[in-house]
Amino acid sequence: MKLDDTKLVIWVKSAFYKESGLQFENNCEVGVFSKLTNAYCLVAIGGSENFYSAFESELADVIPVVKTSIGGTRIVGRLCVGNKNGLLLPHTTTDQELQHLRNSLPDQVVVQRIEERLSALGNCIACNDHVALTHTDLDKETEEMIADVLGVEVFRQTIAGNILVGSFCAFSNRGGLVHPHTSIEDLDELSTLLQVPLVAGTVNRGSEVIAAGMTVNDWTAFCGSDTTATELSVIESVFKLREAQPSAIVDEMRKSLVDTYV
Amino acid sequence: MRSQLLKSNTKTLPRPKRRRQRLKSWPIAFSPFARSLARMTSLSTPKRHPQNPNPTLPPRKPQSSQSSHHHFDGVVQEDSSKREQSETSDEDFDGVIQADFSFFDPKPDDFHGVKTLLQTYLDNEEWDLSAFVDLILGQTTVGTVVKIEDDEDEGIFAIVTALNLYRYREHRCIVTLMNFLLHKVRQGRDVADKLRLLLGEQARDVALLLSQRMVNLPPQLLPPLYEALFDEVLWATEDEPTEELRNSFKFKHYIILSKIYMLKNAEQKTKRNNDSDEGIIYLKLEDEIFHKLSSWSFCFPLQTQQLAPHELKNYRSTGLIMAVGADKIPKFRQELASLINET
Repeated sequence: MKLDDTKLVIWVKSAFYKESGLQFENNCEVGVFSKLTNAYCLVAIGGSENFYSAFESELADVIPVVKTSIGGTRIVGRLCVGNKNGLLLPHTTTDQELQHLRNSLPDQVVVQRIEERLSALGNCIACNDHVALTHTDLDKETEEMIADVLGVEVFRQTIAGNILVGSFCAFSNRGGLVHPHTSIEDLDELSTLLQVPLVAGTVNRGSEVIAAGMTVNDWTAFCGSDTTATELSVIESVFKLREAQPSAIVDEMRKSLVDTYV
Repeated sequence: MRSQLLKSNTKTLPRPKRRRQRLKSWPIAFSPFARSLARMTSLSTPKRHPQNPNPTLPPRKPQSSQSSHHHFDGVVQEDSSKREQSETSDEDFDGVIQADFSFFDPKPDDFHGVKTLLQTYLDNEEWDLSAFVDLILGQTTVGTVVKIEDDEDEGIFAIVTALNLYRYREHRCIVTLMNFLLHKVRQGRDVADKLRLLLGEQARDVALLLSQRMVNLPPQLLPPLYEALFDEVLWATEDEPTEELRNSFKFKHYIILSKIYMLKNAEQKTKRNNDSDEGIIYLKLEDEIFHKLSSWSFCFPLQTQQLAPHELKNYRSTGLIMAVGADKIPKFRQELASLINET
């Protein structure tokens, strides 16, 4: 059931299963196999065309949707981190993949491969266009790289006692969803750091690994097909997706963008 | 596949008291897939598992007046005299873990665990697996889920159930499943006709026997597990509230969809000096008995090929569909019991 007025893509089980239900090969962990930002979207190769076309049909007019692997794997969402300013890749990324991404993404997106021991960058770092939360054991150099390439302020944090901040929260410039067991005090603290409203919740029918089950930018969210109606309504409200219009956001960005996405 | 879990070191002295053993996060499995399954059921923090010499009845949802004896509470405990591992070190892990398993009725909370076990049930077909899992968990009268006693994680180690294909024929996931089976057997003329019959006219008497578990689940659990299943089927024919439901459990045939390993090149077998290479390797040992007792069976190639361990490099992962008559079940139970007792 697609809500026409909003840009939130809700993929729920319906009578025509093939046409709905966002899954990557029967796996509802959408955030593992994709990475969505305000300027581009990465999708893993090797999945069915349904998965790729779900993103393409929703985003292709607005931002480039790029099929890729990272380090030969399909778990692109968990290995890289990025926003409209840049994309950081782990050291396991091959030269060909790096080149492919540099070619496919808009010029003003700086694509950088970094030497960081914690190579699952997507699990260790969560960011929007202004702020990033990182794993407490991240290298100092990596922290500087994040600040430089992504143009964000970096905070080392934990979420509900978990150091994998990139896995247990997902936030955009408008709101964020965090691990369900986050305390009120932590929520307030994080909300102050991030300067966006936050809510503690789940995705994909009770899964606490928020960032694995969904992916979001300022105007769209993609959730796995196991996500319940309650979870969807929470996501819709905290990310303010009902009022979101991609054109306004992208137009602003477009002023500083190169015209053609090749 | 033989489980290495219960290999005993006979040199140890018998111990008078069971030691508390930390269930380490290290998975008790030997394939990447099984390891990832096992890891999902245990958090990184080690847990203490109390060893109960006396099995206790876990909490149940009351089903009917005879619910108490529907629920087989099998607790498998390793003989303490076989223990020899040091209990303090985290790294000293030589493959032996103590665990108490319990059998439970399926309930909605088991969704994620059961879904994981059924991830590759229809090979790499994209289908409504979640709806299928909901269906299984909705049938509480027949069906058993195996978990570890007192495990906070509620990790699912095995699921066993029998679904009447006629009863659920309207569900989209069942239709997909039936079409999948028909598609896979299409090349075997006879078999295709027989299957079509079973799924069509005879569907009222036909059950899909579903049994999925972690690769290295101790085989001692299998006789009680299947006993539980077939006993529950029998009790359902007496205890279900409506006549229609009662009749829906009077199965005449069971259809089983399973995975085996077959030798890639059949001629290799004759050339081979090493005669321990069988033509077929059964991932689940009861499949061998079912196969022997089946009315018909059919093998089809699987599209997802997993990285095989070295011993299996000459084998390919193959799907197996078979139909077993309900009259053969007593013989199956007997043979399974004797097979387990031998090993």
